[in-house]
Amino acid sequence: MAEKPQPVRVLYCGVCSLPAEYCEFGPDFEKCKPWLIQNAPDLYPDILKESNAKEADKVTEQLQSTAISTGGGDGAASSASKPEEVKRLPGGKIKKKEKPEVVIEKVTRNKRKCITTVKGLELFGVKLSDASKKLGKKFATGASVVKGPTEKEQIDVQGDIAYDIVEFITDTWPDVPETAIFFMEDGRKVAAA
Amino acid sequence: MFKKFSSEDVSAHNQVKASVQRKIRQSIAEEYPGLEPVLDDLLPKKSPLIVTKCQNHLNLVVVNNVPLFFNIRDGPYMPTLRLLHQYPNIMKKLQVDRGAIKFVLAGANIMCPGLTSPGGVLDEEVGAETPVAIMAEGKQHALAIGFTKISAKDIKAINKGIGVDNMHYLNDGLWKMERLD
Repeated sequence: MAEKPQPVRVLYCGVCSLPAEYCEFGPDFEKCKPWLIQNAPDLYPDILKESNAKEADKVTEQLQSTAISTGGGDGAASSASKPEEVKRLPGGKIKKKEKPEVVIEKVTRNKRKCITTVKGLELFGVKLSDASKKLGKKFATGASVVKGPTEKEQIDVQGDIAYDIVEFITDTWPDVPETAIFFMEDGRKVAAA
Repeated sequence: MFKKFSSEDVSAHNQVKASVQRKIRQSIAEEYPGLEPVLDDLLPKKSPLIVTKCQNHLNLVVVNNVPLFFNIRDGPYMPTLRLLHQYPNIMKKLQVDRGAIKFVLAGANIMCPGLTSPGGVLDEEVGAETPVAIMAEGKQHALAIGFTKISAKDIKAINKGIGVDNMHYLNDGLWKMERLD
Protein backbone atom coordinates (compact mmCIF):
# COMPACT_ATOMS: atom_id res chain seq x y z
CA MET A 1 0.00 0.00 0.00
CA ALA A 2 2.08 2.86 -1.24
CA GLU A 3 -0.59 5.44 -1.67
CA LYS A 4 -2.71 6.78 1.08
CA PRO A 5 -6.28 5.66 1.27
CA GLN A 6 -8.39 8.72 0.94
CA PRO A 7 -10.70 9.46 3.81
CA VAL A 8 -14.30 8.79 2.97
CA ARG A 9 -16.52 11.79 3.27
CA VAL A 10 -19.67 10.88 5.05
CA LEU A 11 -22.75 12.97 4.79
CA TYR A 12 -23.90 13.82 8.26
CA CYS A 13 -27.36 15.12 8.92
CA GLY A 14 -27.29 18.73 9.97
CA VAL A 15 -30.11 18.21 12.42
CA CYS A 16 -29.36 15.05 14.32
CA SER A 17 -25.67 14.67 13.35
CA LEU A 18 -26.06 11.02 12.34
CA PRO A 19 -24.99 9.86 8.91
CA ALA A 20 -27.90 10.75 6.71
CA GLU A 21 -28.82 7.14 6.06
CA TYR A 22 -29.38 6.57 9.76
CA CYS A 23 -31.74 9.50 10.23
CA GLU A 24 -34.70 7.18 10.10
CA PHE A 25 -33.42 5.54 13.26
CA GLY A 26 -32.44 8.81 14.86
CA PRO A 27 -34.07 10.56 17.77
CA ASP A 28 -36.43 12.58 15.65
CA PHE A 29 -36.82 11.61 12.04
CA GLU A 30 -39.55 14.17 11.49
CA LYS A 31 -37.24 17.04 12.26
CA CYS A 32 -34.58 15.69 9.97
CA LYS A 33 -36.90 15.45 7.00
CA PRO A 34 -36.65 19.03 5.78
CA TRP A 35 -32.88 18.82 5.94
CA LEU A 36 -32.88 15.51 4.12
CA ILE A 37 -35.11 16.82 1.37
CA GLN A 38 -32.66 19.60 0.76
CA ASN A 39 -29.41 17.71 1.12
CA ALA A 40 -29.96 14.06 0.42
CA PRO A 41 -33.13 13.66 -1.58
CA ASP A 42 -32.05 10.37 -3.12
CA LEU A 43 -31.70 8.56 0.20
CA TYR A 44 -35.32 8.71 1.18
CA PRO A 45 -37.50 8.90 -1.91
CA ASP A 46 -40.61 8.45 0.19
CA ILE A 47 -40.47 11.66 2.10
CA LEU A 48 -40.26 13.74 -1.06
CA LYS A 49 -43.75 12.64 -1.86
CA GLU A 50 -45.11 14.13 1.30
CA SER A 51 -46.96 17.30 0.76
CA ASN A 52 -45.03 20.50 0.64
CA ALA A 53 -47.78 22.35 2.34
CA LYS A 54 -46.26 21.70 5.69
CA GLU A 55 -42.95 23.05 4.56
CA ALA A 56 -43.33 26.30 6.44
CA ASP A 57 -44.10 24.55 9.70
CA LYS A 58 -41.19 22.27 9.28
CA VAL A 59 -38.71 25.04 8.80
CA THR A 60 -39.70 26.63 12.05
CA GLU A 61 -39.50 23.25 13.66
CA GLN A 62 -36.04 22.81 12.29
CA LEU A 63 -35.00 26.14 13.71
CA GLN A 64 -36.27 25.15 17.09
CA SER A 65 -34.47 21.90 17.02
CA THR A 66 -31.18 23.53 16.19
CA ALA A 67 -31.76 25.93 19.03
CA ILE A 68 -32.27 22.96 21.30
CA SER A 69 -29.16 21.23 20.17
CA THR A 70 -27.02 24.30 20.78
CA GLY A 71 -28.42 24.54 24.25
CA GLY A 72 -27.45 20.94 24.90
CA GLY A 73 -24.94 21.93 27.52
CA ASP A 74 -27.70 23.03 29.83
CA GLY A 75 -29.42 19.68 29.55
CA ALA A 76 -26.94 17.97 31.81
CA ALA A 77 -27.50 20.48 34.57
CA SER A 78 -31.26 20.19 34.44
CA SER A 79 -31.17 16.41 34.46
CA ALA A 80 -29.36 16.50 37.76
CA SER A 81 -32.27 18.23 39.42
CA LYS A 82 -34.77 15.88 37.81
CA PRO A 83 -34.97 13.07 40.35
CA GLU A 84 -36.54 15.28 42.97
CA GLU A 85 -39.18 16.50 40.61
CA VAL A 86 -40.06 13.01 39.56
CA LYS A 87 -40.56 11.98 43.12
CA ARG A 88 -42.77 14.92 43.85
CA LEU A 89 -45.04 14.44 40.89
CA PRO A 90 -46.92 11.33 41.96
CA GLY A 91 -47.26 12.78 45.47
CA GLY A 92 -51.03 12.48 45.46
CA LYS A 93 -51.12 8.78 44.90
CA ILE A 94 -48.03 7.25 46.32
CA LYS A 95 -47.41 3.76 45.19
CA LYS A 96 -45.78 1.78 47.88
CA LYS A 97 -43.17 -0.54 46.59
CA GLU A 98 -43.17 -3.73 48.55
CA LYS A 99 -40.53 -5.37 46.46
CA PRO A 100 -37.22 -5.41 48.22
CA GLU A 101 -34.42 -4.17 46.03
CA VAL A 102 -30.87 -3.04 46.32
CA VAL A 103 -30.10 0.33 44.83
CA ILE A 104 -26.54 1.28 44.06
CA GLU A 105 -25.71 4.89 43.52
CA LYS A 106 -22.50 6.61 42.69
CA VAL A 107 -22.10 10.07 44.14
CA THR A 108 -19.26 12.10 42.79
CA ARG A 109 -17.42 14.44 45.02
CA ASN A 110 -14.32 16.40 44.24
CA LYS A 111 -14.46 15.58 40.53
CA ARG A 112 -12.51 12.37 40.50
CA LYS A 113 -13.38 10.93 43.84
CA CYS A 114 -16.65 9.33 44.50
CA ILE A 115 -18.69 7.38 46.94
CA THR A 116 -20.80 4.38 46.14
CA THR A 117 -23.90 4.08 48.26
CA VAL A 118 -25.75 0.84 48.64
CA LYS A 119 -29.34 1.03 49.80
CA GLY A 120 -31.78 -1.64 50.67
CA LEU A 121 -29.49 -4.49 51.61
CA GLU A 122 -31.26 -4.78 54.96
CA LEU A 123 -34.44 -5.80 53.15
CA PHE A 124 -32.78 -9.09 52.40
CA GLY A 125 -31.91 -9.79 56.00
CA VAL A 126 -28.32 -8.72 55.67
CA LYS A 127 -26.71 -7.16 58.67
CA LEU A 128 -25.48 -3.81 57.52
CA SER A 129 -22.56 -3.57 59.89
CA ASP A 130 -21.33 -6.94 58.70
CA ALA A 131 -21.88 -6.00 55.12
CA SER A 132 -19.97 -2.76 55.38
CA LYS A 133 -17.07 -4.58 56.92
CA LYS A 134 -17.04 -7.11 54.12
CA LEU A 135 -17.28 -4.45 51.46
CA GLY A 136 -14.47 -2.49 53.01
CA LYS A 137 -12.31 -5.55 53.13
CA LYS A 138 -13.08 -6.66 49.62
CA PHE A 139 -12.45 -3.31 47.98
CA ALA A 140 -9.80 -2.14 50.41
CA THR A 141 -11.57 1.12 51.10
CA GLY A 142 -13.53 2.74 53.85
CA ALA A 143 -17.08 1.52 54.15
CA SER A 144 -19.53 2.64 56.74
CA VAL A 145 -23.17 2.44 57.68
CA VAL A 146 -24.74 5.84 57.35
CA LYS A 147 -28.18 7.17 58.11
CA GLY A 148 -29.67 7.90 54.73
CA PRO A 149 -31.96 10.76 53.85
CA THR A 150 -35.18 9.08 54.92
CA GLU A 151 -34.16 7.54 58.21
CA LYS A 152 -33.05 4.48 56.35
CA GLU A 153 -29.61 3.15 56.81
CA GLN A 154 -27.34 2.73 53.87
CA ILE A 155 -23.77 1.73 53.30
CA ASP A 156 -21.31 4.28 51.97
CA VAL A 157 -18.25 2.87 50.31
CA GLN A 158 -15.43 5.10 49.25
CA GLY A 159 -14.41 4.90 45.65
CA ASP A 160 -16.14 3.87 42.49
CA ILE A 161 -16.93 0.22 42.86
CA ALA A 162 -20.25 0.13 41.05
CA TYR A 163 -18.47 -1.89 38.43
CA ASP A 164 -17.73 -4.91 40.59
CA ILE A 165 -20.16 -4.63 43.42
CA VAL A 166 -23.01 -6.48 41.77
CA GLU A 167 -21.07 -9.67 41.49
CA PHE A 168 -19.81 -9.31 45.01
CA ILE A 169 -23.28 -8.88 46.43
CA THR A 170 -24.73 -11.84 44.59
CA ASP A 171 -21.79 -13.99 45.59
CA THR A 172 -21.74 -13.09 49.24
CA TRP A 173 -25.44 -13.08 49.87
CA PRO A 174 -27.14 -15.65 47.68
CA ASP A 175 -30.52 -14.40 48.91
CA VAL A 176 -30.10 -11.30 46.81
CA PRO A 177 -31.02 -12.05 43.22
CA GLU A 178 -29.22 -10.11 40.55
CA THR A 179 -32.56 -8.93 39.22
CA ALA A 180 -33.20 -7.03 42.42
CA ILE A 181 -30.10 -4.91 42.07
CA PHE A 182 -30.44 -1.56 40.40
CA PHE A 183 -28.16 1.28 39.53
CA MET A 184 -29.20 4.89 39.85
CA GLU A 185 -28.32 6.74 36.71
CA ASP A 186 -29.53 10.30 36.36
CA GLY A 187 -32.38 9.56 38.69
CA ARG A 188 -33.51 6.54 36.78
CA LYS A 189 -33.26 3.01 37.98
CA VAL A 190 -31.33 0.79 35.68
CA ALA A 191 -31.29 -2.93 36.19
CA ALA A 192 -27.84 -4.25 36.85
CA ALA A 193 -28.34 -7.60 35.23
CA MET B 1 -20.66 2.38 27.69
CA PHE B 2 -20.76 5.84 26.21
CA LYS B 3 -24.48 6.06 26.63
CA LYS B 4 -24.04 8.76 29.21
CA PHE B 5 -20.88 10.55 28.48
CA SER B 6 -20.08 14.20 28.62
CA SER B 7 -17.18 16.44 29.32
CA GLU B 8 -18.08 16.16 32.97
CA ASP B 9 -16.90 12.59 32.99
CA VAL B 10 -13.41 13.62 32.03
CA SER B 11 -11.27 13.47 35.10
CA ALA B 12 -7.90 14.47 33.72
CA HIS B 13 -6.21 15.12 30.45
CA ASN B 14 -2.52 15.14 29.96
CA GLN B 15 -0.20 15.72 27.14
CA VAL B 16 1.73 12.48 27.12
CA LYS B 17 5.44 12.16 26.84
CA ALA B 18 7.07 11.12 23.63
CA SER B 19 7.75 7.58 24.71
CA VAL B 20 4.12 6.97 25.60
CA GLN B 21 3.13 8.61 22.36
CA ARG B 22 5.34 6.20 20.47
CA LYS B 23 3.84 3.30 22.30
CA ILE B 24 0.32 4.37 21.46
CA ARG B 25 1.24 4.84 17.82
CA GLN B 26 2.81 1.46 17.73
CA SER B 27 -0.10 -0.36 19.24
CA ILE B 28 -2.53 1.41 16.94
CA ALA B 29 -0.38 0.56 13.94
CA GLU B 30 -0.27 -3.05 15.02
CA GLU B 31 -3.98 -3.22 15.58
CA TYR B 32 -4.95 -1.47 12.37
CA PRO B 33 -2.36 -2.08 9.66
CA GLY B 34 -4.68 -0.43 7.17
CA LEU B 35 -4.24 2.84 8.97
CA GLU B 36 -0.49 2.90 8.76
CA PRO B 37 -0.15 5.07 5.66
CA VAL B 38 -2.34 7.76 7.14
CA LEU B 39 -1.17 7.45 10.68
CA ASP B 40 1.19 10.36 10.23
CA ASP B 41 -1.74 12.53 9.23
CA LEU B 42 -3.89 11.34 12.06
CA LEU B 43 -1.32 11.52 14.79
CA PRO B 44 1.21 14.05 13.58
CA LYS B 45 4.50 13.65 15.32
CA LYS B 46 4.78 17.35 15.83
CA SER B 47 1.44 18.18 17.35
CA PRO B 48 0.87 17.17 20.93
CA LEU B 49 -0.99 13.99 21.67
CA ILE B 50 -3.33 14.23 24.57
CA VAL B 51 -4.64 11.32 26.54
CA THR B 52 -7.82 12.02 28.39
CA LYS B 53 -8.65 9.90 31.33
CA CYS B 54 -12.28 9.39 32.06
CA GLN B 55 -14.28 7.43 34.52
CA ASN B 56 -14.56 3.69 34.36
CA HIS B 57 -10.91 3.28 33.38
CA LEU B 58 -11.51 4.81 30.01
CA ASN B 59 -8.84 6.59 28.01
CA LEU B 60 -9.36 8.77 24.98
CA VAL B 61 -6.61 9.63 22.55
CA VAL B 62 -7.19 13.20 21.52
CA VAL B 63 -5.39 15.11 18.79
CA ASN B 64 -6.19 18.75 18.13
CA ASN B 65 -9.17 18.47 20.44
CA VAL B 66 -10.71 15.69 18.36
CA PRO B 67 -11.07 12.31 20.03
CA LEU B 68 -9.69 9.68 17.69
CA PHE B 69 -9.25 6.51 19.69
CA PHE B 70 -10.39 5.10 22.98
CA ASN B 71 -9.48 2.15 25.11
CA ILE B 72 -10.47 0.62 28.38
CA ARG B 73 -7.99 -0.25 31.07
CA ASP B 74 -5.17 -1.68 28.99
CA GLY B 75 -7.37 -3.05 26.26
CA PRO B 76 -6.93 -2.50 22.55
CA TYR B 77 -7.34 0.92 21.05
CA MET B 78 -10.52 1.40 19.11
CA PRO B 79 -11.25 4.21 16.68
CA THR B 80 -14.17 6.50 17.21
CA LEU B 81 -16.99 6.15 14.71
CA ARG B 82 -16.19 9.45 13.05
CA LEU B 83 -12.72 8.16 12.31
CA LEU B 84 -14.00 4.77 11.24
CA HIS B 85 -16.39 6.41 8.80
CA GLN B 86 -13.42 8.05 7.14
CA TYR B 87 -11.43 4.86 6.91
CA PRO B 88 -14.03 2.12 6.90
CA ASN B 89 -11.74 -0.72 5.91
CA ILE B 90 -9.41 -0.73 8.86
CA MET B 91 -11.49 -3.03 11.01
CA LYS B 92 -13.07 -6.40 10.63
CA LYS B 93 -16.72 -5.97 9.92
CA LEU B 94 -19.80 -7.72 11.14
CA GLN B 95 -23.19 -6.90 9.78
CA VAL B 96 -26.47 -6.99 11.64
CA ASP B 97 -29.88 -7.27 10.09
CA ARG B 98 -32.20 -4.35 9.73
CA GLY B 99 -34.34 -5.23 12.69
CA ALA B 100 -31.40 -4.91 15.03
CA ILE B 101 -30.44 -1.38 14.03
CA LYS B 102 -32.74 0.48 16.33
CA PHE B 103 -31.69 -1.56 19.34
CA VAL B 104 -28.04 -1.14 18.59
CA LEU B 105 -28.54 2.59 18.25
CA ALA B 106 -30.16 2.55 21.67
CA GLY B 107 -27.02 1.00 23.06
CA ALA B 108 -27.93 -2.67 23.13
CA ASN B 109 -25.26 -5.30 22.79
CA ILE B 110 -25.28 -7.24 19.58
CA MET B 111 -27.02 -10.57 19.91
CA CYS B 112 -25.98 -13.58 17.91
CA PRO B 113 -29.24 -14.09 15.98
CA GLY B 114 -28.97 -10.59 14.51
CA LEU B 115 -25.64 -11.57 12.99
CA THR B 116 -26.61 -14.99 11.71
CA SER B 117 -29.95 -14.09 10.17
CA PRO B 118 -30.18 -13.53 6.40
CA GLY B 119 -29.53 -9.79 6.76
CA GLY B 120 -26.40 -10.30 8.77
CA VAL B 121 -22.90 -11.07 7.64
CA LEU B 122 -20.31 -12.83 9.73
CA ASP B 123 -16.61 -12.73 9.10
CA GLU B 124 -15.51 -16.19 10.12
CA GLU B 125 -12.01 -15.07 10.90
CA VAL B 126 -13.00 -12.85 13.77
CA GLY B 127 -11.84 -14.26 17.04
CA ALA B 128 -13.07 -13.59 20.54
CA GLU B 129 -12.25 -10.30 22.22
CA THR B 130 -11.44 -8.32 19.13
CA PRO B 131 -12.73 -4.91 18.21
CA VAL B 132 -15.04 -4.99 15.21
CA ALA B 133 -17.05 -2.54 13.19
CA ILE B 134 -20.77 -3.17 13.26
CA MET B 135 -22.36 -2.51 9.91
CA ALA B 136 -26.04 -2.73 9.10
CA GLU B 137 -28.08 -4.34 6.40
CA GLY B 138 -28.60 -1.92 3.54
CA LYS B 139 -26.44 0.81 5.04
CA GLN B 140 -23.09 2.02 3.88
CA HIS B 141 -21.57 3.17 7.09
CA ALA B 142 -20.80 1.58 10.38
CA LEU B 143 -23.28 2.16 13.15
CA ALA B 144 -21.34 0.90 16.11
CA ILE B 145 -18.03 -0.35 17.34
CA GLY B 146 -18.09 -3.57 19.21
CA PHE B 147 -15.85 -5.89 21.10
CA THR B 148 -16.55 -9.53 20.40
CA LYS B 149 -17.23 -11.70 23.40
CA ILE B 150 -17.02 -14.97 21.55
CA SER B 151 -15.47 -15.86 18.22
CA ALA B 152 -17.43 -15.68 15.01
CA LYS B 153 -17.51 -19.44 14.76
CA ASP B 154 -19.04 -19.67 18.21
CA ILE B 155 -21.53 -16.99 17.30
CA LYS B 156 -22.65 -19.17 14.45
CA ALA B 157 -22.65 -22.35 16.50
CA ILE B 158 -24.29 -21.05 19.64
CA ASN B 159 -26.53 -18.48 17.97
CA LYS B 160 -27.88 -17.22 21.25
CA GLY B 161 -27.28 -14.37 23.61
CA ILE B 162 -24.75 -11.60 23.39
CA GLY B 163 -22.16 -12.02 20.68
CA VAL B 164 -20.58 -8.61 20.58
CA ASP B 165 -20.41 -5.98 23.27
CA ASN B 166 -21.48 -2.60 22.06
CA MET B 167 -18.75 -0.14 22.92
CA HIS B 168 -19.58 2.92 20.95
CA TYR B 169 -22.56 3.64 18.72
CA LEU B 170 -24.05 6.44 16.69
CA ASN B 171 -25.46 9.28 18.73
CA ASP B 172 -24.04 8.17 22.04
CA GLY B 173 -22.10 10.43 24.34
CA LEU B 174 -18.80 10.06 22.55
CA TRP B 175 -20.38 10.61 19.17
CA LYS B 176 -21.85 13.87 20.37
CA MET B 177 -18.50 14.93 21.69
CA GLU B 178 -17.20 16.03 18.35
CA ARG B 179 -14.62 18.26 19.85
CA LEU B 180 -13.16 18.17 23.25
CA ASP B 181 -11.56 21.10 24.92
